[in-house]
Amino acid sequence: MSMLRGFLTLVLCFMLGEALRLVFLIPVSGGVLGMILMTFTLMLKGSVSDDLAAASQGLISVLVLLIMPGVVGVFFSADQFSGQWLAVAGALLVGTFLSVLTTLLLMASLVRAGQRRKSDD
Amino acid sequence: MIELLERFYALPSSLSASPILAIGLTLSAFFAGNWLFRRMGSPLWLPPVVLSAFLLSATIALLSLDYTRYQQGAQWLMLLLGPATVALGIPLYQQMHHVRALWRPILCTLPVAATLAAVYAVVIAWALGATPLVLASLAPKSVTAPIAIGITEQLGGSVPLMMGGLLVTGVVATLFVDLLSRVLSITDDRILGFALGLNGHAVGTARAFEISRTAGAFASLGMGLTGVFTALILPLAFRLW
Repeated sequence: MSMLRGFLTLVLCFMLGEALRLVFLIPVSGGVLGMILMTFTLMLKGSVSDDLAAASQGLISVLVLLIMPGVVGVFFSADQFSGQWLAVAGALLVGTFLSVLTTLLLMASLVRAGQRRKSDD
Repeated sequence: MIELLERFYALPSSLSASPILAIGLTLSAFFAGNWLFRRMGSPLWLPPVVLSAFLLSATIALLSLDYTRYQQGAQWLMLLLGPATVALGIPLYQQMHHVRALWRPILCTLPVAATLAAVYAVVIAWALGATPLVLASLAPKSVTAPIAIGITEQLGGSVPLMMGGLLVTGVVATLFVDLLSRVLSITDDRILGFALGLNGHAVGTARAFEISRTAGAFASLGMGLTGVFTALILPLAFRLW
């Protein structure tokens, strides 16, 4: 029962996000809007109820199950992208290498700068 | 007798008239994939979702089920993605206190790195001659799947291609973080975790939890913030472009 109560909160939050998207023509999915609403509400409230924690843990643990129908599609729509695979592979491999490099360098230098600032104080 | 056999061979297509076959197959593949993953010693480069997807596609092909038929049935599962995306707000809230500890590096790195993750991919694919459909499918490649599906739908990309790209990104981001952190001699778990979550979404976060709890917490945070940031920025950027 308690998990269903938490699930109801999630469904209502999702519907609120969808409603905002449809009324204000926001180009962001209702799920993400609901997630942002959820995070801000919790930050204002300062705690998570047990019902909500149980429901969210349950759903997050089966996320893989929910995304699998989408993953399977790549095998059945492969010929739709023939001739594009070099571009796809290049973007994924080189692009990810560059973005990991950027993140590590940027974050490491900022953390170091923060420590220096602290030791200067 | 022959009629009986005919009815037997027609079973997959007769059963697929109801969504329950698609749901049953997906559930079985989910558990079989997880079981196989543990049997193989939990390899980093082959997450359970890839194994499950292989098994599921092979089954659909073997039973010669119509893929669009399967997809219609599986809609019942995908329906839960909306509430599941909202559910991601709860761990994000629980990790928020880490922002306070390291707010300046996090808030400076996030917009730059999350934007560049999309820009690098789109520019490289564009230079190699990708169509707008492919570009829209690759842009959200560093975002966690439930959020990325929403983004791709907004951009008008292909969800299957995006999902494939997403998984490859997660796996190679994990390998590159391991490699580059050694080359750059970065040992701070908070930095490694954040880079894993920001670039490698759920796959990277799973790796971060293997490094340490701190790395895992920062990966969850990086994954959540990247998802929200990209979901807000990318549709606007594509509309202006």
